Amino acid sequence: MRDKLSEILAEYKLKIQEAQTLSELDTVFLALFGKSGELTLLPREFSKLPKDDLKNIGPLFNKVKQELEKAIDQQRNQVRETSYQKLADEDFELDSKTEIKIRTGHLHPLTQFEKKIADLFSKLDFQQYDAPHIDTDYNVYEVLNIPKDSPARDLQDTFYIDEKNMPKIDDKWILRGHTSNSEVRFMKEHNPPHRMMLIGRCFRYENLDARHEHTFDQFEIVYIDKGVSMANLQYLSEYFLKSVFGEEIKARLRTKYYPQVEPGGGIDALCIFCKGAGCKVCGWVGWLEIGGCGMIHPVALKNGGLDSDEYSGLAWGISPERMAMLIYGIEDIRLFRSGDLKFLQSL
Amino acid sequence: MKVSKSWLKELVELKISIDEVEKLLPLRTIGTKEITENFIELDMKGYNRADLLSMRGVAREVAAITDSEIKFTEVPHKDYVWVEQSLPELKVEVEDDKLCPIYCVAKIEGLKVGGSPKDWVKKLEDCGIRSINNIADLTNLMMLEYGQTMHSFDAAKVADETMIVRLAKEGEQFETLDGKNRILTSEDLLITDPKGILSLSGIMGGKDSEITEDTDSILLEVAIFDPVSIRKTGQRLGLHSEASKRIQHGLTRKGLFQALDAAIKMYQDLGGKLTALTIVGETEDQIKKVPLTLEKTNSLIGVDLSKTEVEDFLKKLNFEMEEVEEGRWVVTPPYYRLDIEIEEDLIEETARMYGYEKIPAKELAEELPEKIDQSLFDLIYNTKKSLVDLGLTEIQSYSFYSTKVLGALGFDESNKENIIRVANPISSETEYLREFIWPNLVEVIEKNLKQGYGDIAIFEVGKVYLPPSTSLRGSDSDRGNLPIESYRLAIALMNSSDNPVKELNTIFSLGANLFHPPGVQVEKGGLMKELKTLFHPTRFATVKLADKVIGGLAEVHPRLLNHFGIDKKVAILEISIERPN
Repeated sequence: MRDKLSEILAEYKLKIQEAQTLSELDTVFLALFGKSGELTLLPREFSKLPKDDLKNIGPLFNKVKQELEKAIDQQRNQVRETSYQKLADEDFELDSKTEIKIRTGHLHPLTQFEKKIADLFSKLDFQQYDAPHIDTDYNVYEVLNIPKDSPARDLQDTFYIDEKNMPKIDDKWILRGHTSNSEVRFMKEHNPPHRMMLIGRCFRYENLDARHEHTFDQFEIVYIDKGVSMANLQYLSEYFLKSVFGEEIKARLRTKYYPQVEPGGGIDALCIFCKGAGCKVCGWVGWLEIGGCGMIHPVALKNGGLDSDEYSGLAWGISPERMAMLIYGIEDIRLFRSGDLKFLQSL
Repeated sequence: MKVSKSWLKELVELKISIDEVEKLLPLRTIGTKEITENFIELDMKGYNRADLLSMRGVAREVAAITDSEIKFTEVPHKDYVWVEQSLPELKVEVEDDKLCPIYCVAKIEGLKVGGSPKDWVKKLEDCGIRSINNIADLTNLMMLEYGQTMHSFDAAKVADETMIVRLAKEGEQFETLDGKNRILTSEDLLITDPKGILSLSGIMGGKDSEITEDTDSILLEVAIFDPVSIRKTGQRLGLHSEASKRIQHGLTRKGLFQALDAAIKMYQDLGGKLTALTIVGETEDQIKKVPLTLEKTNSLIGVDLSKTEVEDFLKKLNFEMEEVEEGRWVVTPPYYRLDIEIEEDLIEETARMYGYEKIPAKELAEELPEKIDQSLFDLIYNTKKSLVDLGLTEIQSYSFYSTKVLGALGFDESNKENIIRVANPISSETEYLREFIWPNLVEVIEKNLKQGYGDIAIFEVGKVYLPPSTSLRGSDSDRGNLPIESYRLAIALMNSSDNPVKELNTIFSLGANLFHPPGVQVEKGGLMKELKTLFHPTRFATVKLADKVIGGLAEVHPRLLNHFGIDKKVAILEISIERPN
C-alpha cells in the first residue's frame, strides 16, 4: 500500500506538471478525486490491511492527498498566470459599432417608487436636495435638538467612522441615521419659504433580518413658511396616500415622539388590503403605520436662522422600502440590496 | 413599560372599556408594542415621557384622555410618616451633589424575609418583573407604582451604617448582583460604605450587601442620580435595568417622597419599624412656568379652538393655567411632567387632547419657493432611464466593501487605511466604505452566475466615499471639509463573449448621448498606475468630458474575477456623475 501511494504521487505529480491548460488539469483532478478516481477508491482497500499498517497508512494517505491537491491548485495558478501573460497580446479596438444584445432593462423597484413620489411632490413645488452620508454628530443630531446622552439617541443606533484617516474635528464622524441632516443645511443655504424634498440612503447599526436593514432609504419633505400648521401635515399625508394608493385610502395622524419635531406625529394609512376592516397585514387594527412627521422644533429653526415666532415648518417622511414592500408584496427587505436579478427583473 | 391592566383599574375609575383604552392610547399618548389579557406594553423606546414609566403616571394619563377619575390621592407633606417623628440619622456623604442631587436612606428593623402575597406577585408579573422575596418585591412595586427607583441593602452588611456616594477610581473592581466582576472607570457613580463598594448607583447592587434569608433590618436607599452619568455607565457595561431606565428619563423629588413614604408604610405593614432616616440634598423640585398663547396654539395646529377648550384640555392633564392677559397664559406643568419645557410642548398636549385625527387638511400656501437647481437629480434619473432603455438592470448594492471584494481588490493591513473605516461595524462585511462601485457589481455578477445567468448587464448609480487625503475631487465647496462623497455611475457587462468591452463601449456611447451633455469621449489607455493589477493590460480606456477625466472603461483582470470564481470575461465602466455646469 505504501508503494502504491508513492507510485500514485509520483505519477500524478508528473501529470500535473505536464498539464498546460485548465481543462487538462480538470481531467487530472477527476482521475484522482472524481467518483471513480484513484484516491477516491483507494481507501476501500484499507480494510484488508493489518491493524498496525493501517495506523501508518491513514496519515500517509492524507499527506499524499493534500500534496496532490496543492499541486493541482498551484499548477492551476501557474496556468492562469501564464495565460495572463498572453493578455498583453490581445487586441483592443474602440469602435462603438458593435451591436448590443437585445435585453429587457429594469429600474430598481426603489428608483421606480422614489421617482413616483418625487414627481408627486414636485407638483406641489417641492424641490430635491442632497446631503452627505458621512457627517458630524452635531449636524445629524445635535443641531436638531437631539443632544448627546439623551434617551432619544436610543431610537437610532449609530455607525461611527474611524477617525484615523479623517480630518480632525472636535466631534464624531458618523454615517447619518436619517435624512434630516439636510434640514438645517437647507435652511441656511436658501431663503424662506422652503419646500425641500430629499431621497437618500441612511445607515443604522441594525442586525439584518427580513424586516431590518442597516442600509435603507428615507424620503423626507420639509415645508417652512409663515403659518405652516399640522393641518398641512394632514393635507400632505392625504395627498400622498390618495395619489399612490387611491382615493379611498384615508390618512390619519397620531401622536408620536421624535425629538426633532414638536408636536410630533405618526402617519397612518387606512389599510390598503382590508380598507379598514382588519386583516393580518395590519394586525387587525385597520390601519398601517407608514411614516413620521411633525412641526420642526424651534431649536432646529433657530439653528437654521429662522425665528420660530415668525416661521413654522413641518417635516414629513416615509420609508420607501416599506412602501415598496406593501405595493409589490415584497416580504424581505434585504432583497433590495441583494443584487438578485430574479427579484429585480420581476418587478 | 408593561402596564398591568388590573392594577390600572385599581388606580382609575375607567369610564370606557379597557379595549377602548387600548385603541385610544396610540392616538392620544403613545404607541403600544404588545397587548395581552394581563398587560399593555407601551413603546417607550427613545420616548421622553418619564411619567409613563409608572403606574400612577399612566393612570393619570389614561384618566385625562378618557375623561375618567383617578382613584388615588397624593399624601401631603405633613402626613409623611417621618414628619412627626424625631429619628436618629445615619451617616451619609455625597461627594458631588450634581451627580446625586438628593439621597435618602431609611433604616427599617424587625423584618422577616419571606414570600410575597399573591396580589404583589400578580402585579409584578403583569409588569414583567419576577418576584424575589417580600423585601425586594416591595421596592420593585414602589418603582412600578411611582416610577421612583429604590434599593434595599442588608443593614448588617453595611460597615458603620455609613453610605458614601462617590465616583469610582479608575480600574476599581466590583462584583455586581449577577455575579460578574466589573472594572470601573472614574465616570462611574458608586454607593460605598467605609470599607468597600455596595452598589453601582442606580444600575445594580452588589453581591455582598444583598438581602438574604437572614436579613432582619435593611437600609432603604431612595435617591436621584444624574441621568447622563447613569446612561454612560450603563452603556459601557451593557447593563440596562428597569431602574436605570427610569433614572435616565428623569425623577422628581415629589415623586421620591411619595414613594419613600409609601414604602416605609408598607414595610411597617410587614412588621418593620422605621428607626433612622437621613435626607441629604435639595428637597423641592424646580417649578417651571411656560408661556402659551391661544393664537400660536391655533396657528400651529391649524384649528380654531376657544380659550375654554384649551384650558379644559390642559387642566385635565393637571396643568395649572393662569391667564395673564386675553388669550395669553402662564402654564405650570404638574411636577411629574419633566418633558414639558417650551410653548410647543404645551401645543402638542393641546393637539393630542383635541385629537390629531380630527385636524382638518389644509392646502399649502400660495407663495412659491425660490427655484433650486435640479440638474443633478435629473441627470441621475436620466442616466438610469437611458441605461434601462438599452436593456440594463439597475442594481443597488451596499455602500460597504464585503470581505470578498476587499480580498479581490488586494486590500490587506498595509493599505486598508486608504479607505474609510467604520469604527463599530456590525461585522467585517460592513467595515469599509466603498471607493468604487464596480467591484460590488462584479460580486453581483458572481451571485447571479451561480443562479444560472449567462448574460448579465447591470449598472448602479450611487455614492462612493474617499478620505480627503486621497481625494481626487475636492471641488464640492458646499461640503466644507467633509470627506468627499461623490456620485458615480458604474456598469458591468458579462456577455459571454471574448471581448465584452466592445459591447460595453457601444452601450455607453449610446447611453451617454442620451444622458450626458455632448462631448463625452472614450480614449484608449490612460489607466491609473495603481489600478493596473485590477484590469486587462491592454483593454482599458479613459472617459473624458470636455478634456477632464471623469472615469474609465476596462476589462476586469481574470485574476480578480478568479477571486469570485468567475471564469467568463467581464467589462466594467465607472464615471463620476457631477452637476452639469
